[in-house]
Amino acid sequence: MARLKTGTRLKSAVCNTQVMIVAAPDADVDLACGGQPMIDAAATPPAGAVISPDAAKGTVLGKRYVNADGKLELLCIKPGEGSLSVAGEALVLKEAKPLPSSD
Amino acid sequence: MKAVGGRRRCAVAAPDPPTCEHPDFVWAGSGAMALTGFADGPPVLAPAPLASRAREVVQTLAARAGTPALAALDGAALLGEHAAAFGSERRGRVSPGGSCRLLRAADRWLAVNLARADDVALLPAWLGDGDPSDPWAFVAARVARRPAEDVVARARLLGLPAAVAIAPEPAPPPWLRVAQRGPAGRRPQHHAPLVVDLSSLWAGPLCGHLLQLAGARVVKVESTRRPDGARAGPAAFFDLLNAGKQSVALDLGAADGRRALMRLVQRADIVIEASRPRAVAQFGIDAETLVATRPGVIWLSLTGYGRREPGIDWVAFGDDAAVAAGLAVATGAPDAPLFCGDAIADPLTGLHAALAAFEAWQAGESRLLDVSLRDVVAHGLGHAMPPARASVIRCRDEWEVELAGVRAAVAPPRIRPAFGRARPLGADTAAVLAETEAALRG
Repeated sequence: MARLKTGTRLKSAVCNTQVMIVAAPDADVDLACGGQPMIDAAATPPAGAVISPDAAKGTVLGKRYVNADGKLELLCIKPGEGSLSVAGEALVLKEAKPLPSSD
Repeated sequence: MKAVGGRRRCAVAAPDPPTCEHPDFVWAGSGAMALTGFADGPPVLAPAPLASRAREVVQTLAARAGTPALAALDGAALLGEHAAAFGSERRGRVSPGGSCRLLRAADRWLAVNLARADDVALLPAWLGDGDPSDPWAFVAARVARRPAEDVVARARLLGLPAAVAIAPEPAPPPWLRVAQRGPAGRRPQHHAPLVVDLSSLWAGPLCGHLLQLAGARVVKVESTRRPDGARAGPAAFFDLLNAGKQSVALDLGAADGRRALMRLVQRADIVIEASRPRAVAQFGIDAETLVATRPGVIWLSLTGYGRREPGIDWVAFGDDAAVAAGLAVATGAPDAPLFCGDAIADPLTGLHAALAAFEAWQAGESRLLDVSLRDVVAHGLGHAMPPARASVIRCRDEWEVELAGVRAAVAPPRIRPAFGRARPLGADTAAVLAETEAALRG
């Protein structure tokens, strides 16, 4: 459980997934990937941790993931085999950005 | 059109050849020069013969295709059509379209494009906590304290279009790379090619439009979830580029939609696609394998920075890609860059891509063509200007270019009339899919 800060990079303890926090609620968040708590991008993963089979749908590079109330939003900056969840509830893919009418 | 006697008259139109073939005169007549420079200052000459190059490329395509519609088209004037439709004007370090800005970082300048409203939500993740309700004030204040390379690297990680304002590279890259070759087709070359156009906005649709003028049949394919954003812009522009194309809309989030897309692609002679390679892969299409195995298909990949590392996943639009090529520094100075034209990488890429696709199709061998916005502009910057340059002078309320006593007006951007209305989204889906199935079975 930790308070997440916008712009922080986190990585999965059990796969290659890396995310950046795009938006975070003002509360402690129990963020996991592959069923294990996510860790700071520079930290060393705990030995012996493995992907939980019910959290192994994978993450997709460049996609944004949100929780049910939309207050937590992550961007996948490195894909992996685990899937993202908060307090056991799976995060869902956000639809691709609408195209502008002009650039 | 020499200045006459003692009483100076303003030039009203481009002079006759050969003076009008000087790159500064072609630039002045293209509409792009009027879009370059500060709003309260003179229009600015281009650092390279970009408008001349646009004209030559379209002339080459016209000669290849032999169609009167292309022979009558001035490629240089394509550079101003978007601004003419949108009513854009030159704004110095703000792009004419308004979504891209040149900003001073701690050490040098960079460009950021916030064309997509959704990207504003990424600003705190990019630059740190704070209130981005005034996004440009938020970005400018934070960027100013950091090195440009760091800021741009982090923007790219987040999928934001940004670029350091570099000087042009001494050895310009080729504008076209063949990323994959495949078997030759047996298709009779007198047939008009079938183009499946998966692209949006300007570069890709312009390419499809030019191929149409070269005699091709073009099917425009859009996602029902994410249709071409240009549909929401001025009709004069969307119709110009898309009238005469059939419209197919598919739900690419569903297996049925992706299967239908695959069928369309399997039948195409030329595919125009302007997504990042990983997005195409997510639709279940592997362009490399398709080209390596299917005879006589051209896959045209339009990207910001090409299909190779490190830029394969970087997002770009026409203004920031030109900055990345060195155009803003070359137009202004390293410590005073300027936007040059309006999203100029887009039309330049669209017309180069049309020539590349048409020539490759005529050659008959399958090819995956890798054309990037940045490389097209960087290549264009490698063409030298003649030693004698025009000067920019004011005549009453108008601006002119003058060289060796010959003068011409700096023309405003203008847009050709569309030759009809573009088809409504998905109006031809059922007909085209049925026809495709019949053709693939037969």
